[in-house]
Amino acid sequence: MSVEPDRRELFSALPAPRARRRGLVVVLSLFGLFGLALGAALLVARSGRPQHGAPFVTETALTPDEEDPVRVAKRAAQATTALDRVRPRGNYLVVDSYRNRLRLYEDGALKHEAVCSTGTGTILRDPRNGREWIFDTPIGERVIERKVKNPVWAKPDWAFIEEGYLPPSNPEERFDPYSLGDYALYLGNGYIIHGTLFQTLLGRRVTHGCIRLGDKDLELIYRNVRIGTRVYLY
Amino acid sequence: MSGSARASIFTSLLAATAAFAGETTPDPGRVATLRLEAGIAQTPSVYLVLDPPRRVLEIKARGTVLDTIDLRGIEVVTRQPLLAERPTRPVTVPAVWRIVGEPADDHRELIAPVELRPMPKEEEDEESDGAGTTTPAPAGPTPTPTPAPEPEATYRAHLDGGWDLLICEQLPPRGVVERFAAAVRDGWQRLRGEGGDDPPAIALAMAAEDGRRLHHLLRSGTSILVAAGAP
Repeated sequence: MSVEPDRRELFSALPAPRARRRGLVVVLSLFGLFGLALGAALLVARSGRPQHGAPFVTETALTPDEEDPVRVAKRAAQATTALDRVRPRGNYLVVDSYRNRLRLYEDGALKHEAVCSTGTGTILRDPRNGREWIFDTPIGERVIERKVKNPVWAKPDWAFIEEGYLPPSNPEERFDPYSLGDYALYLGNGYIIHGTLFQTLLGRRVTHGCIRLGDKDLELIYRNVRIGTRVYLY
Repeated sequence: MSGSARASIFTSLLAATAAFAGETTPDPGRVATLRLEAGIAQTPSVYLVLDPPRRVLEIKARGTVLDTIDLRGIEVVTRQPLLAERPTRPVTVPAVWRIVGEPADDHRELIAPVELRPMPKEEEDEESDGAGTTTPAPAGPTPTPTPAPEPEATYRAHLDGGWDLLICEQLPPRGVVERFAAAVRDGWQRLRGEGGDDPPAIALAMAAEDGRRLHHLLRSGTSILVAAGAP
């Protein structure tokens, strides 16, 4: 004997016409809101000028003279000779003031690398006259102008102003026989490669522009460079 | 015979020998680049060499490579409406660009004492007493300074010739959705009066750390040699 389901039960399982209409209104409202949001976004995007990246296309502008093979070879040799003339020979130093590394090279080959400390980049302002010092390690080529064993530091004005003191009028009060360590290599304009009392700060940007080295590295550098040695700082 | 005469004869012989032997002559673009570098290297300044085919930026002085930065990409970046893209003009190489406007130095810390006081007598006495002993008088910053603030990894520098140099981690997005989102963001900023039009820029994408360490080298007057030809 088969049992036929009651048709009224089947119809009652479907949503009532009013509920169906409500669902339709909700869906249409959502679509409408989405359309409005998209339209608004399109309007806003129309007034935008976003960054657009295009391939880096180059064109080489050479005269026929510059493309003549014989002249090209000749000019290549001349330029190479000119560059060879200015390239450093023998020992030279390279200071990376961002990574705080000092490297000793001999004819282009790395001989030694040391952790150093370089300038903070801080600005100091003198309240009396507004004069400013920027504690940057310089950039570019310099030469070792002087080598001194057991150096004495003649403290400049900023060393006192930074501590909140007036620079002394008596020059004797400026001499400090401890801070520079055992050796100093002078680069000009007050910049020095020297030792430090704060060995734990090596590898950090904590100086006023000088380059500080640990005791052993400083001695090695002192013994391996002579006056006139080139120093490249970047 | 003078040195310059000898050099001239040598280079002539070299060129002639190379031509006679049928050797491949150097790339004219590379030679033009080399000649420009030979001029820049006469000064003691640090300069940069941008080599687009190798995607490398070299930090150099006197013809010697001091350091190398690998680039993620190089593009010409302009601000354009979303649906009105204009083709960008090619860049003539080899060329020497110079920085004329440094990137902002907002990260620098300022030490500005309000007033200065005389050195205390006690310290002077202590120092003079200790001069003969091993007590050092430390100078400079205290042993536990706060870390120096880092510069931004994304910034612009102005170049002569109207271009900007944009140092960034990521190049502008290429996808349709990302570009539309960027246009909406920029449009919204402009509606609020915050948007601006930057000059067209040569964008160099690199690691954030490389961007930061390049920041202090982009000073006014720094030369950037853009190399031409195949390496």
